[in-house]
Amino acid sequence: MDDALEVPRPQLPTADVQEEDQSSGDEDGGLDWTKLPKLGTAARPVIPKRGEKDFEPAAGGGSGLQLHVLDRSREAMLEALRAGRSISSKSISYGLWYPAIDRVHVITARGIHFSTMGHSATRAPPSEGMGGEAVDAQSNSIPGSKLPKRLELLPEEALYLVERGALFCYKFLSNGLPLVDSPNFEMTSPGAPMSVQQAFAEMTGRDGMTLERYQVYAYLKRLGFILMRAEPPTAEYPVAALTPLLSNRPLTQPQTFRGKLTTLFSRFASNVLSVFRLSRRSDWWKHLQLSRYRTSADIFQSLRFIPCTYSVPLPLPSVSEGKQASSSKALPFALSASPYKVFFHVYKPSTPFRKTAPPAPDFYVVVVNARTTPMPSIQELTALFDILPVMPLPPPRKRGVQPAVKNPPNSPPTDDPATKAPPGISRPSSTPGWPLSALTFLRRLLFFLPFFCPTPPAQADKLASKPTRPPNPFLALKTGKKTIVIAAVDSGSISFFRFGQGVFEEWPMA
Amino acid sequence: MSLIQPASRSKSHQKSSARRTENDRIYANPLPIILIEPSQPSLLHKALGLLGVSVTQVLNPHCEGVLDVATRSVWVLNMKDAMVLWQRGFFGKGDLSRSEPSWLARQINARKQAKQGGMTSEEVTAKRRAERKQFKLDRAKAMAAAAAEAETAFQEGRVISTIYAPDGTRMIPSAATWKPNRAPETQPDKSASIAEESDDEDEEEPIENVEHLQLTLQEAFFLLWNLDCLSVSNTQTGDPLTLSQVWNAFQNAHVPSPKLVPSPEPPQHRCFDNPFLVNYVIYHHYRSLGWVVKSGIKFCVDYLLYKRGPIFAHAEFAIVVCPVYEDPADQESSPFNLQNASPFSWSWLSTINRVNSQVQKTLILSYVTIPARLRVSDAVLSSPACFAHYSIREVVLRRFIPARMRD
Repeated sequence: MDDALEVPRPQLPTADVQEEDQSSGDEDGGLDWTKLPKLGTAARPVIPKRGEKDFEPAAGGGSGLQLHVLDRSREAMLEALRAGRSISSKSISYGLWYPAIDRVHVITARGIHFSTMGHSATRAPPSEGMGGEAVDAQSNSIPGSKLPKRLELLPEEALYLVERGALFCYKFLSNGLPLVDSPNFEMTSPGAPMSVQQAFAEMTGRDGMTLERYQVYAYLKRLGFILMRAEPPTAEYPVAALTPLLSNRPLTQPQTFRGKLTTLFSRFASNVLSVFRLSRRSDWWKHLQLSRYRTSADIFQSLRFIPCTYSVPLPLPSVSEGKQASSSKALPFALSASPYKVFFHVYKPSTPFRKTAPPAPDFYVVVVNARTTPMPSIQELTALFDILPVMPLPPPRKRGVQPAVKNPPNSPPTDDPATKAPPGISRPSSTPGWPLSALTFLRRLLFFLPFFCPTPPAQADKLASKPTRPPNPFLALKTGKKTIVIAAVDSGSISFFRFGQGVFEEWPMA
Repeated sequence: MSLIQPASRSKSHQKSSARRTENDRIYANPLPIILIEPSQPSLLHKALGLLGVSVTQVLNPHCEGVLDVATRSVWVLNMKDAMVLWQRGFFGKGDLSRSEPSWLARQINARKQAKQGGMTSEEVTAKRRAERKQFKLDRAKAMAAAAAEAETAFQEGRVISTIYAPDGTRMIPSAATWKPNRAPETQPDKSASIAEESDDEDEEEPIENVEHLQLTLQEAFFLLWNLDCLSVSNTQTGDPLTLSQVWNAFQNAHVPSPKLVPSPEPPQHRCFDNPFLVNYVIYHHYRSLGWVVKSGIKFCVDYLLYKRGPIFAHAEFAIVVCPVYEDPADQESSPFNLQNASPFSWSWLSTINRVNSQVQKTLILSYVTIPARLRVSDAVLSSPACFAHYSIREVVLRRFIPARMRD
C-alpha cells in the first residue's frame, strides 16, 4: 500500500529513479529487477509489481527452473545497477563544500529544491589565499559595511541533493583557485570535484548529522515532507513559529460574567472542600457511603483520587546533572543530557511553507539509534512533552463530515484544573471516602437560584460540545494532548512511533 | 447473550436489536451495587437531598468469596453471586470459561445439540480449523505438482509458469476457490452417534456445575474496599477476613512463602512496589474512570479497557503497567522483580505494538510512580491511604506511518 504512495512525483528527474525504487522496498523483500524497464527506454518508469513467492523450496534442494529464474533476476539487478547514472547539465546545481564550517555554499541554484532547502548566511568575502576559510561573519565584520549573503546548505541537505543527483559538489581547497563569480566556472573548477561516496564520507557526522538522522531526513524528504532543524545551528537559521493554537486557546474559554462566576464559585467550592477533606481524611478504612450517591456515575467520580497528571513534576533520578542551558531554547535539564531531543521539525507537503519564516511544525521528530539507545524513560518523555505545544486533534474521520467538531474536543483540555476533577489531582492526600456532599450541597442549593444555574464542570464540558455532536472520546484518547514522533533507526531500517500524552482522566467513560 | 454464541450472519436486524435491548437490560448496571432513587421524591426527600443526606436506597448483593493464595485469586463459588459480579460490571472470569462463567450453559447446550445432531460452536470452530488445515495441505500439493511439471518442461527447454496453467486458469487453489471434500462429512455422523449412545446413559442425571468465578486480587479489593459488596474468607478456617486482614493477606500473597495459606498478619517488610499495590493503582484508576478492566495477557499487555464491557464492543485500549521508581535505590533493594520497571527494547515495543494494532487496540503505557522511601514513610503502607502517594502518567503509543500522514 505504501508503494503506491511512494511513486515518484512527476517533477522528479528520471535519473534517480533507482534510488526511489530501493527506498520503497522497505516493508517486504526486494524488488523484481527483471521487471525494471531498461534504462532510458521508458520516459516515466513505473514501480513494478513484485512476483509471486514460491510456496516452499522443492524437495532435494533447488531445481533447474528455480535456479534459472534466480539467475535471471540476479542478472537483471546487476544490469540495472551497472548502468551509468546521467544527469542533465541543465538541471543540476553546483555547490562548494567547506569542511571547516560544515556547509555547502550553493554557487548555482537550479530546480525547485531550494524553495524548501538551504538558508542564507552572511559570510565575509573570501580573502585571497585564505579563500573561503569563511570565518563567521560576526567575528571579522567591519561595522557599517554590508556583508554579502549567500545560500548555504546543511550537510544533510547537501548530501540528499548529491545523492539524488541534483547537486554537484566541489570540495573547497585552500590552495585552489580563488572562487570567481564567472558564469562559466563550470569549466574552471572552484575546487576538487566530489563523488557521491566522498560526499557521504565527508558530510556524515558533521554538525550533528549522524547517519541515522540523515536516513530519516532522506526518507521523509523523498516522501515530500519538508524538514527543518529544530534547534537552529546558527543564529541566521530560520526559527519555526510558535503554535498559533496557544494564543487561540483562551478564546475558547467562555469569558462571560456567568462563566467567571461559575469558575469563581467552583474554585471557592474546591477550597472549601479541601478543608473539609482534610478533616475527614483520617479514615481510609471506611467503605464509600453508598447511600449518599444518586447514580453510579457519582460513585465513579468519588473514586477518582489517584493522581494522574503530568503537572506534578517527576523526580528526576540520574539525568538531572547535565544542567547546561543549551542553545536558545530553555530546555529542561533532563533533556540536555538525554539523546531524546527534538531534532527535526517536519511539515506535511500540503502545509503552506515559507523558508524564511517557517510556520509551526506539523510533527516533532526525534531520531535515535535503536541499537544503542533504549526506549525513552518517562522522565525523558515528560521533558519532551513539556516543550511541545498542545496540538489540535486531527479532524474526525469522514463519516458524517463535521469539521466543526474540531474545537469541542479541545475544550476539555482548556486547562480548568479548578473546576475539573477536584479530588486529588493537586493534592495527593485526599480520601476516597469523601462524598460529593459539600460540592453537591452547594450546587443543589444554587439550583434554587434561578438566574445562576451553574452546571457541574464535567457536565458543563459536555454541554459545551453538545450543539455540534458529542465528540468521540476515542479520538482524543488515541491522539493524546501532545505528540512526539520518535524514529528508531536500526542500521538503516526506520521505525517511527508516535508517543502521545495520555488524557484518560479528562475523558471519563462514566 | 453469551459471549460464546457466534454472531450468525443470517439473523435478521430485528433479532439483533432485540438481543441488544436484552443485553442492555441484563448488563444495565456498571457496578454490583444498585442505587434506587425513590420514584416519587417527596418534599422531605428533596430537602434531605439538599443536605446531602441519603435519599437513595442501596441494593448490596453481599457476595462471598474465598481467598486462594496459590492462584492469587478470590473464588466465588456461589453461582448466583458469580453471575451478579459478572453481569454488573464484568468482574472476574469463569475458571472453565474464557470470560463469562458459562461452562454449565455450554454443557447443557452441547448435550442438546448432540441429541438434535447439531453442532456446538466449539465444534464449528474445530471443523473450520480442520478445513483450513486441509486447504493448506491441498494448496501445497498443487504447488508441488505445478513445480514438478514446470521442472520437466524446463528440462525439455521450455519455461512455463508455475502458477497459471497453459489455458490461463489458476492451478493453485486460493482460500476463495477451495472447497472442502465430501469426505469429512462422514465423521460428524460417527461422533454424533457415539455422543448419542453416551447421552442415553446420563440423560436423566442433571449436570452438576463445577465452575467458579475467579476474581483477581485487584478486582476483589476494589469490590471489597470501595463498595463493600464482597466478603473474603480464609480457605482453611472459613472465617471471613476483616478489611485490614484482607489488606495484609493480598500483599502477602505476592511474597513467596512455602505455605499456600492466607496470612492476614502484617507483612514483615511493607513495600511500595508490592505487585498487588502497583496493579491495584492502575486497576482502580481505570475502573474509577468508568472503564471495564480485564486482563490483557492474550495481547502481551497487562490490562484491556472495554468501554461498556466485553459483551458490547471489543476492547479499545491495551494497557502496559510500567512501574517507575522515584528512587532507583528502592529498585535495587526491592524483593520484587517488577515487570517493565526498566524501559523495554525497541524490538519488544514493536512486538507489543504490532500485536495490538493487529487487533485494533491502541497501546497505552501507564507509568506508575513508586514513592521513594526517603520521601514517604513506610507507615503509610499500613492502610489504603498509601494509594494517594502513587501517581499515573499515560503515554499513548502508535505507529507513525509517514506515507499516510502526508495530507
